[in-house]
Amino acid sequence: MTKKLDPFTRENISQSLLAAADEMFYTWGRTSQSTIIYEVLDYACGLTDAEGHLIGQANGATMFLGAITFSAKAVLEKFGKENLKPGDMFLTNDPYTGSGTHLCDVAAVLPIFYEGELVMFAVNKGHWNEIGGTNLGSWATDTKEIFQEGLILPDIRIYDGGVFNESVKDIIAANCRTPEMTLGDLYAQTAALKTAESRILEIFDKYGRDNVIESLEYILDNGRKLALLELQKMPKGTFYAEDILDTNSNNVEDIPIKVKVTITDDTFELDYTGTGDAVFAPINCSYYGALSGARIVYQALVSPHTAANDGFYSPIKVIAPENCLFNAKKPYPVSCDWEPIQILTDVVLKAMAPAMPERVAAGHFLSIVGTIIGGIDDKTGSPFVLSEPQAGGWGAGYNKDGENGLVAICDGETYVIPVEVCEFRYPLRVEQFAFNPVSGAGEYRGGKGLIRDYRVLNSNAELTTMASRYKYPPWGFAGGKDGSPNAVTLFKADGSSAETRATWSHEPMVEGDLVRFITGGGGGYGDPLKRPVESVLRDIRDEMITIEEARQDYGVVIDEESGELDEEATRLARQ
Amino acid sequence: MSLRVAVDIGGTFTDFVCLDETTGKIIEEKTHTTPDNFARGVEDAIDIAGINLEEVNYFVHGTTVVINAVTERSGAKTALLTTKGFRDVLDIGRANRPDMYNYFYKKPVPYVPRYLRYEVNERVAFDGEVLKELDEAEVRAVAQKMKDNGVEAVAVSFLHSYKNPTAEERAEQILREELPGVPISISSNLARIWREYERTSTTVLNAYVMPSTQLYLDTLEEHLHDKKLIGEPHAMLSNGGTATFSRAKEIPINLIESGPVGGVIGAAALGEIMGEPNIITFDVGGTTAKTSLINKGELNVTTEYKLEWTPLFAGHPVKTPVVDIIEIGNGGGSIAWIDEVGVLKVGPRSAGAHPGPACYDLGGTEPTLTDANLIIGRISADNFLGGTFKVNVEKAREAVKPIAEFFNISIEEAAQGIIQTANSNMLNALKLISVRRGYDPQDFAMLVQGGNGAGFGPQLAKELKVKKVIVPNLPGTFSAWGMLVSDLRQDFMQTNIMPVTGADLEVINSIYDDMEAQAEEIFAKQDIPKDKLLIQRSAEMRYIGQEHGVVTPVAGGLLDVAAIEAARKKFDDLHYQNYRFKLEGAPVEFVSFNMTVFGVVAKPEVKKLEVTGRELAAALKGERNVMYEGDGVKLAPVYDRALLEPGHTILGPAVVEESKSVTVMCPGQELIVDDLGNLIISNLEE
Repeated sequence: MTKKLDPFTRENISQSLLAAADEMFYTWGRTSQSTIIYEVLDYACGLTDAEGHLIGQANGATMFLGAITFSAKAVLEKFGKENLKPGDMFLTNDPYTGSGTHLCDVAAVLPIFYEGELVMFAVNKGHWNEIGGTNLGSWATDTKEIFQEGLILPDIRIYDGGVFNESVKDIIAANCRTPEMTLGDLYAQTAALKTAESRILEIFDKYGRDNVIESLEYILDNGRKLALLELQKMPKGTFYAEDILDTNSNNVEDIPIKVKVTITDDTFELDYTGTGDAVFAPINCSYYGALSGARIVYQALVSPHTAANDGFYSPIKVIAPENCLFNAKKPYPVSCDWEPIQILTDVVLKAMAPAMPERVAAGHFLSIVGTIIGGIDDKTGSPFVLSEPQAGGWGAGYNKDGENGLVAICDGETYVIPVEVCEFRYPLRVEQFAFNPVSGAGEYRGGKGLIRDYRVLNSNAELTTMASRYKYPPWGFAGGKDGSPNAVTLFKADGSSAETRATWSHEPMVEGDLVRFITGGGGGYGDPLKRPVESVLRDIRDEMITIEEARQDYGVVIDEESGELDEEATRLARQ
Repeated sequence: MSLRVAVDIGGTFTDFVCLDETTGKIIEEKTHTTPDNFARGVEDAIDIAGINLEEVNYFVHGTTVVINAVTERSGAKTALLTTKGFRDVLDIGRANRPDMYNYFYKKPVPYVPRYLRYEVNERVAFDGEVLKELDEAEVRAVAQKMKDNGVEAVAVSFLHSYKNPTAEERAEQILREELPGVPISISSNLARIWREYERTSTTVLNAYVMPSTQLYLDTLEEHLHDKKLIGEPHAMLSNGGTATFSRAKEIPINLIESGPVGGVIGAAALGEIMGEPNIITFDVGGTTAKTSLINKGELNVTTEYKLEWTPLFAGHPVKTPVVDIIEIGNGGGSIAWIDEVGVLKVGPRSAGAHPGPACYDLGGTEPTLTDANLIIGRISADNFLGGTFKVNVEKAREAVKPIAEFFNISIEEAAQGIIQTANSNMLNALKLISVRRGYDPQDFAMLVQGGNGAGFGPQLAKELKVKKVIVPNLPGTFSAWGMLVSDLRQDFMQTNIMPVTGADLEVINSIYDDMEAQAEEIFAKQDIPKDKLLIQRSAEMRYIGQEHGVVTPVAGGLLDVAAIEAARKKFDDLHYQNYRFKLEGAPVEFVSFNMTVFGVVAKPEVKKLEVTGRELAAALKGERNVMYEGDGVKLAPVYDRALLEPGHTILGPAVVEESKSVTVMCPGQELIVDDLGNLIISNLEE
């Protein structure tokens, strides 16, 4: 029932398309065999038009969402539109050509044909638990070139006109430590794309080809208009900030991070000139990774709740000099690229914070503190791999305290693994999961980071992890104090050592060893002496701060004998 | 002793339905909900209906008291006792940020502040082994602190208690000794399933609402007994069953969606009578539209309910079974508006009962769905609420005018646009519950209910391509009728991960045996003998490596290898149905063993509608112009439902009016009145 396209029908089409993206997300999450997909939800789904422009997306990991469109464009560029055909599907994890992020994140791209014409792409991208590489779990903290980081799938045609490429399947299986799980995920990922495809074809059937195509243009156009409206409201000019990336991976230390943010009526430009060069440690990102990060911070500043599409993102410009940390070329390693991608977002916020306090909160723990604990299970003889992000403290804002224990900015609708699930699946015992009591003081207090202890119950295991912000804690702002750093401590079972490091690389562990992940507390906002006394008293009651901190940071004095507020001493201390 | 009474408290109205089993006569009443004292609203309804409670043999109550206590945070001062090292789990949650780009996202605030979250030494491993015995002296010391802090309810949630509940049970005993009169809720008693945050959240919410629910149900029961009600009244549970008040008071969190489930149960019950086991329910009221799906006579029950969840807010998990209902903010009072880039939206904001739609002329000036319906003739000013309520069409047109001007179209076209937008929202919800879950709407009948269900249903049925639409008798209070025909219900679920190949039959049989024994005990207390129990077993199964499972039916009786193999095969099929692929060669495991037990109560007989031989023409009230999406304006005959008889056939376009509902048929649809008086609408050709 084709009819003239009125504004209401156009909106119906948009909503139906978004529903198709949501359904793709749901299907994959329900059927995946990787913990990191189904429990952590470390994946994302989106739809593009025939040129690869992002039309809509489902909630997921923000870093993946930012990269979806580039995967579709890379396929178009490599094969040419005229060489795609119904039944094709492509895989890519090549960070330098458009996949954008590290090799574990595999994007699947499905061109959708309606009556023989390429009309859209469905794309999903998620973290595969295993793709080869130097250690269990595949991503590593001590690689020196990309070839150590696993199998590269450079925009390959895995389905050719509906025929599955068994040879590629065999190559993937042969290069992964847990081939069944990896292939199971590939099937689930494919099924999710097929679901999206059938929904989209239904939409074309219902509304007619011309009307849907017109709606796609309308969505992009509308996104652009919205972006310009929002940019008009923003402060104009040039803003600067700098920071330091401090992971200590491969002994690389203190990489300078610099940004110049320029906002005009129609552009949002991030210029990273002055940032350090790419390094022989897996803490670089490709230019596509940088673009993905730019989209995150753009959305956070410009309009957090506007539906994402390439029209909305069109004002973004990113300048990252050749071979800069944020524009690494092959073979520079990118395994922990969330660290550079996160700090490139955070430094922009730091630049904009004074001008836009209504959108920017103080710094958060920032590092994902990505964790792998793996080994060969004594009981089964098979490999086990726990691969997860940690959650930490978030910064305070002009009207609220920071949140306790949330995943970092590059994650989004991403979950921590329950203790009970973890203990069932892996030969590990979680001995505590609790707040790290230290965070940034302020009129509004920084949120609490977390402490998570893993006891090894297996004869062997290895630890791989990376925590940035181990020397330079999350920043406070408007008079608020800095938060607290991230750290990973390994307590040996025999009591011989308790060593704290930012980066561990397949460190051997034995039964009884305990590894403690401490994530940072967020920065504070505003002068701590202005924090209402009753808020400070509530924090003492809840053991969120100590009596000593109340006195030192907040000028709230508690009489030691009575345990009551000493009003006079407090008045004096707060003057 | 031949009356059955249901009282369903909703946000705006309290619905009352009384069925006389001897005559089949039904009395329905709607009174305003009295939020300051819900019990009074119930009594008002009984008084207005003039019912003598001595005559009542079954009284069932759907209540919002639990959902109100949690959303208004007016529950008890609650403490939490956890395993040492884990008191912050309730606050950490799963650490997700659904509002991904917002640096000002606020997490769900826990229902127990940190100073009332206590830890105790005890530890159980994932396999149930006790690693550290419960420190009983410590529990007593903590109880003292709770007392000092004036705690009114206590939740207990220890790690792996789903596997070994002994420590929780012992802690409960000690707390009862130390804190007499304080309700205690332990996690293993509510949900024997893994994931500590979700289980703890459920337990905390249960404890939080225990005191207020007890008080409310006790007060109401006292009043009902004062009015000479003889048996114990029943409360409607979110799982689609009922429980006596005394059982409901132990597990109040199971009343969280007590109200909305009535309509779904009613649909299943009516479907059984009509021989329609597959039904999509569609309930449109004043502020929301709700839909649920019944497959082969069974309700879809989920354990993934999250209180206050939105796409941008993580919500509070409740892991007790809740009938799977999708609800969107589109009802008669939903307001139409234009967003910042010029897109027309409908809802979720509603004009509510006051001021109500613009056409009520009570001061509302914003255009609502009801105003749009009035303008394009889908409802009539002369028959609003059966003609008892005067509405003002001019006010409706004035309210819609700015939208017409914005798009430079006529007021009628703008009204049609509002309807079309709401239709699209509702259609997406209907698809979400059906096609998106692997069901083909052509296998389903759509049962419409609520004041506005029959107005929107036929058009949507056409687009969704269901095989027919059923408009039941008294669609406006159908939810309360559903409560009248519900059975008692108890769900059991126990996480126990076990490979299917070589499954330990002894363990499985003993889990099911234990559940049955528990069920018998629970139902015996509610006066339901063993021979009235209907037992359904199932198991959550998955391919090894997967997390989320598919709930698969399991045979009754003593299970053998063949029964397990049959379940495995069934699982493959269900996985394919849900997700479009199956891995027949891959190893499968059990995640949990589940059981649903119904305490079957006698159902009222549904009487056939009398045939007097009246002509259809006698029911014709007149005709009016109605505007249809895609078909334009059509002159539609208007019929009075009260005068329709079995066998009458009407061709669309047409309108059928009754006192609390209007059925709007599209061109190309045919309506037949069945023996029971239901209106059955089907699409003639496409």
